Amino acid sequence: MNSRYWIVPIIFALLTCESDDICPESTQTTPRIVITFYDINNPNEKKNVESLGIYTVNNGQINIIEGFEGINTDSIAIPLRDDELESNFKFSKDFSDATVIPSGQSNHVYINYDINGVFVSRACGFINNYNLSLALPYDPADASDPTSWISDIIILNDSITNENQSHVKILH
Amino acid sequence: MKTNHMLKSYISLLIVLTCSFSFATNNKQQNDTLNKFGIRAGIDIQKIIRSATNKEYNGLSINADIRIKKLLYISSEIGNEEKMTNTDYIRSTSKGNYIKVGTKFKLNKNLKGNQNLTYSGANLGYSSFNQTINSYTIYNENNSIWGISTINNPLYSPDLNALWFELIFGLKTEIFNNLFLGLEIQLKNILSETKGNQITNFYIPGFNRTFDGSSIGAGFSYTISYLIPVVKK
Repeated sequence: MNSRYWIVPIIFALLTCESDDICPESTQTTPRIVITFYDINNPNEKKNVESLGIYTVNNGQINIIEGFEGINTDSIAIPLRDDELESNFKFSKDFSDATVIPSGQSNHVYINYDINGVFVSRACGFINNYNLSLALPYDPADASDPTSWISDIIILNDSITNENQSHVKILH
Repeated sequence: MKTNHMLKSYISLLIVLTCSFSFATNNKQQNDTLNKFGIRAGIDIQKIIRSATNKEYNGLSINADIRIKKLLYISSEIGNEEKMTNTDYIRSTSKGNYIKVGTKFKLNKNLKGNQNLTYSGANLGYSSFNQTINSYTIYNENNSIWGISTINNPLYSPDLNALWFELIFGLKTEIFNNLFLGLEIQLKNILSETKGNQITNFYIPGFNRTFDGSSIGAGFSYTISYLIPVVKK
């Protein structure tokens, strides 16, 4: 026996020291809600929204969502609130001037849901999945807020577990 | 302050033991004594040091082995551990008891009178524990828009258990008459475990921490034990 043996436990002790658990970026994160836009006159036909701007509405505060500042698209993915069971948005058509809030022709979008925490892994912890219960093209808390350019919102898939399919269809 | 004082005492003890260890190993006795058979009982001082120095850990274990043949020992260890595991997204605490039972095979040959032991062996371990997720932050890459959501409602998972197998390699050196200082490393594999609310067991008492997507684990112990001689032959 030799004092060289001390090397073994020392190396081992270093190896077993806890390293930080890092959540890999490839991990499925909390999914966003996928919304597709359809033509009100032809409800099976997708229809672009011209210059779409999207704002979050949080306790009367209206903030633009980065990346949604006047885009032409028929499909979007936006995050839902994790600390409440409802999310409020303003969808603006013909968005032009970012200094005007809300810009263009604005329509309230109200989404109500249940949250299920789902355990993913040691390093990433939990993500949320959602179960949609209600989607409205106006603010249910504000009777003076009528619909604007959105005619109807239809829930296609009430369970939001990924972003691979459309969850909600907007007719305009 | 008290912890500081305790820490100093442990470190001094450790230094003394380490010095004695090297002294004993380099100074092979040639005296003509007989192989001792008996019960060797000890404690894990690594757990005591860790409890004193790490706020997130508390643990204690005792171990014993019995020599049943010239080269064969039966050994057992029981212990209790409580460990907090904090990652970017989760704050959790695991707490429970464990038992290990196994065999050790002596690998070395001793000069007469020398009772040093190099061994390899295998253990079966079983732990009964609980895990609490004290708080967790939802993993959401898009949280810049609505803000970060942290849930402070604890998730308690009682009555968990785990069974594992471990391969061990260790050394025991006699530092004084019948008093041994031991080092052991363990490579482990979980055979079965129960999970609460489908959540990973972050730390299993006796097993040590777990890894994502793997049932492999590792651990080590640093023990001091005393041999109570029962039979001499």
